[in-house]
Parts: sequence; structure tokens; C-alpha cells
Amino acid sequence: MAELTDIANETIRREIEEYLDRPEEIERNVGLFVRVRPLMQEIAAALIEGDDGTVDRLTKQALGEGIDALEIMDDGLISGMGIVGIKFRDTFIFVPEVLACARAMKAGMAYIEPILSASGVKPLATVVMGTVKGDLHDIGKNLCIMMLRGSGFSVIDLGVDTSDDEFIDAVEEHKAPILGMSALLTTTMPNMGKTIEAFIDADLREDVRIMVGGAPVTQEFADDMGADAYGKDALDCVAVAKGFVSVQA
Amino acid sequence: MKLDAVAGGELIVIGENIHTTRALRSKGKSIVENSGREAVAYTDSAGAQRHLPVPDSFKRRQEYQQGQIKHVMIAVKVAMAGGDGSDEALIYLRQLVDKQIRVNADFLDLNVDEISWKLEEQKAAIKWLVTTIQGMTKLPLSIDSSNVEVIATGLAAYDSAATRPLLNSASLERIEALDLAQEHNARVVVTAAGESGMPNGAEERVQNASRMVDAALEKGFTLGDLFIDPLVFPTSVDRVFGLHCLEAIRGLRKKYGPDIHITGGISNASFGIPGRKLINEVFLILSVEAGADGGIIDPVLSNPVEVFGMNRDSNAYQMAEDVILGRDEFCQKYIAAWRKGEIGEAR
Repeated sequence: MAELTDIANETIRREIEEYLDRPEEIERNVGLFVRVRPLMQEIAAALIEGDDGTVDRLTKQALGEGIDALEIMDDGLISGMGIVGIKFRDTFIFVPEVLACARAMKAGMAYIEPILSASGVKPLATVVMGTVKGDLHDIGKNLCIMMLRGSGFSVIDLGVDTSDDEFIDAVEEHKAPILGMSALLTTTMPNMGKTIEAFIDADLREDVRIMVGGAPVTQEFADDMGADAYGKDALDCVAVAKGFVSVQA
Repeated sequence: MKLDAVAGGELIVIGENIHTTRALRSKGKSIVENSGREAVAYTDSAGAQRHLPVPDSFKRRQEYQQGQIKHVMIAVKVAMAGGDGSDEALIYLRQLVDKQIRVNADFLDLNVDEISWKLEEQKAAIKWLVTTIQGMTKLPLSIDSSNVEVIATGLAAYDSAATRPLLNSASLERIEALDLAQEHNARVVVTAAGESGMPNGAEERVQNASRMVDAALEKGFTLGDLFIDPLVFPTSVDRVFGLHCLEAIRGLRKKYGPDIHITGGISNASFGIPGRKLINEVFLILSVEAGADGGIIDPVLSNPVEVFGMNRDSNAYQMAEDVILGRDEFCQKYIAAWRKGEIGEAR
């Protein structure tokens, strides 16, 4: 079995040792980082530290050395963001620090994305996102979109105050397998359920996996409304979307 | 409340302590075991130590499992139900009222939106709460909801014989709330929200709020009836958010002169970062300097008399100001200082 001490990069070792607590997460991350090459570990470490300049430089360097863009995205950027997600969930770090990491991710993706799209590599999936009818709040939804894009998803942003028809039309037009709805108000939250009903009425419910989130939303509420999943924050939203994709595959 | 630090000598405090969103950390020091039950420890209005038990039904809730105890929601639900424990829950609500009176709050803001996502349950709760709290105090109440129907129910239950209520809030997306305010002789919070989205920048805030103010004046409200909420966004999400809000306050004060009230949900400023109390307090100070004459705040946690007496030369104050004014990218310095214990949760 892979050991923590087998990881070459000191920052990654320290991050795992200091911030990871759940045995399965330690095992998964140790296994992951032992496997990836040292330069990818360095990219991940810089991303975790929110150092966009270094991520920019190292991504360029890695591409120059002929390393595959997909490998840099998976082993360098996404692996680093995995640790960031755990630290945020366990409140070791806070919203602005996650945003700094997202900016670093973006710096790397600026090189990776054009290469992937030119070589015909498809995004993980298309996600339609919007704040529900009657609700004008978009800060949380925008954080979700940023994290989804940074993690390899293509996102169609419908903005705020989104009607059932707008959700349905966008899902149909973009053949999106995933729909995300956000609400910040208890008074607009039930509109998530109404939109889900509208998908059922339009005979499209089977074609799309629906995730919901927002401050007052709970797992229980999501279940009651017939959503497929609930995400408690922007990073959880990415985990949920990835879960959908892996089930599909 | 009278406050010399404020231009005009008066700060209008809208106390937000009776919101069903309010939470205590379950690992915090006010959550204790009492006679074998988990409970919120508190002092009642007479100063006696008491306990509000956490009902088992709350322990199945998501926020409880994430370490939060929604103490106000517990008190409202248990008191409304009227069975075992309702006396204790009423005593709990009464101390929330009395503690805000003691620090000279001007309005008590009531919000029950989170009690349920069912409109009928929200209406029943606001009706009960308005009647109950009016039985405890003569202070005017602010009826707060994101749903106009809930506000209408709260205003209908309000006895305005002694004081006028405050409607929180009306905005371009629901301008009909102005008629509701008029119908109930209420003063009204008008926000800077747009018809179809949140405002971007200071200019749009001023424009949206101005349209609301002008519509209200046309209906016969006076400037003194109106409380502008320029909308405070979390500075953790974008470092320009604090500046946008403060600039809007300056613009609105200049435009409408001294009689209109300018307030705001100050604690939004600190969402997403630790050491929230200090950020909230400094945001209040900076808002008032920009021309606000009040805030929707927790006046017990942040007593304005103490807030405005704060040492502004301290490192902690300067760092909080840097966050709000967009000078601390990603709040790096502030969070680093908090980790070193240099910010502190309480003064």
C-alpha cells in the first residue's frame, strides 16, 4: 500500500497530514499523489496555496515538456482542488481562500482548455444552472458555476428568476444531462419542486439529473421535491455533478 | 438610540435577534447538558440562569447535524405549540426582546421565513409571533419576510394603536408592497434590488433605490417614513462589494438629504469569513461615516455604544477596514490574523 512518505512533494505531504482526517480520503489521496509525477504534485501544491502565478508557470512548463493536457488537468489541477474541497468542507479554509484556489485553477485551465477543445476532448458534461423563479440571488450559484467550469464541466448559466420554460428549453437545446437549481429564500425554494414537476409534465424528467442547493435547502427538502441530489456548497455541487457523470458512464 | 458618534445624534437600530435563521454553534459554550438533555443556556430577563432544551425533532435536522442549533426557531416552534416546554420557550423569547430593549434598539425585526417552506405555516408563525412579541414590548416591530403575503399577515396582526410598524421590505420586484405599507400605516424599508436582478455597482443601487423612494413619495410617504437598504453583499466573494455599498450610501444621502433613513443588513458583509463580528462592526462604522443612520444588526452582540467607541488605530480595526474597502485581496491578511488569534470573536 502507498505510504504518505512515498509522496515526493513536501507541501502535499503536509496538507494530507494536517488536514485530512477520514481514512478513506487519506488513502485515496495518498494513492493518487504517489502515482502522479512530481511536476503534477507541484502544480497541485501551488493550486492549494492559491498561487496562480506558479500554477500558470508550471502548467506552461509541463505542456512544454510534452505532458498531455488531460494529465495536467486531472493530476495537477483537479487533484489539488480535491484537497481544497475537503479543507473547505471541514472549515479549515474559507470562501475567499477557495476563490483564490479557483483563480489558480483558472490560470492553468487557460492553457488546457483550448488544447482539449482543439483535440476534440469533450467537457465532462453540460450543466444548466439557474436561480429559481422569484429569486434574484446569484452569488452562491455563480460560485457553483465557477467551480464547475474549473472542474471541466461546460455550464449554461440562465441567471436569476428562471422560469420552468427557460429551464426546460435550455436543457433541451443543449442536450444537458445535468440541471442545477439554486434558491436563497424559503419562499422561493418550493419553485424547485414546481420546476421538477414541469420536467415530469414535459416528459423530460428521465433525461436529466437534477441537483439543488442554496442556504435554506436541505437534503430532506431535496428528497421531498424529487430532486436527484442536494449540494451543500459550491464544491459539493461539483462532487454531485461528478457523481452523476460517473453513474452515467 | 441616541449616539453622538452619528451625524444627527441618532442611530436607528433595527434589532435582528428574533429571526428563525439565528443559530448557535453546538460546540459553543452556550450549549450545555441540563438534566440529561442538550439545552441552550441563557439568562432570563430577571438575570436567572435558565435552559431551553433542544427538542429531539430538531436533532434530525440537517443544520443540527452540521453543528448548528437554530435556537430562535426552537423557541418559536415550542412556544407556538403550547405544550410541554412552551413556558420556557416564551421566557426565552422574552429575554431576546428585553436584551434588545436594554441596549436601546429602536425596532425589533421579526422573521420566520425559515420555520417552514410552507406558506401557510409561515403565515401562522408570523401572526403568532407579532401578537406574542407585542404582548412583551411597546417597541415598534419590523415585519420581515421575502414573501409579501407573509408580511401582509404580520401587518394584519399588528396593533398599531401605539406605534407604527416597519415593513421590511419593498423593492422594484415587488413594488406592490408599498401599497401594503400604506394600507397599514407602516414605515417601509425600500431596497436597491432591481426588477429582475440584484444591482451591480453603486450607480445601479442608487438608481433602483431612487425609483423606490420616488414611487413612495408619490404615494404620500414622507422621507422620514423611508429606510433605504442599499443591499450589503459579502466582501469575501468580491472585494469591490463593500465599496459599492458604501458609495451608494454616500450617493443616496447626498441625493435625498438628512431626513431619509439609510440602513442595511450589515452582517451580510462578513459571510464566508471567520472573525465576522469585527467585520460587521467596522462595516457599521463605515456605513455611518458614509451617511447611513442605522443598521439591521444584532445590538446585543454588537452594542453600538461599544462599537462606536472602538479603537480605530488598532491593528484588528485596520485589517477589517482593509477587507471592507477591498484592500486585502481574498481577505488573506485578515484570515491569517484570525488564525493567529489576533482578531478574536469577541472584544
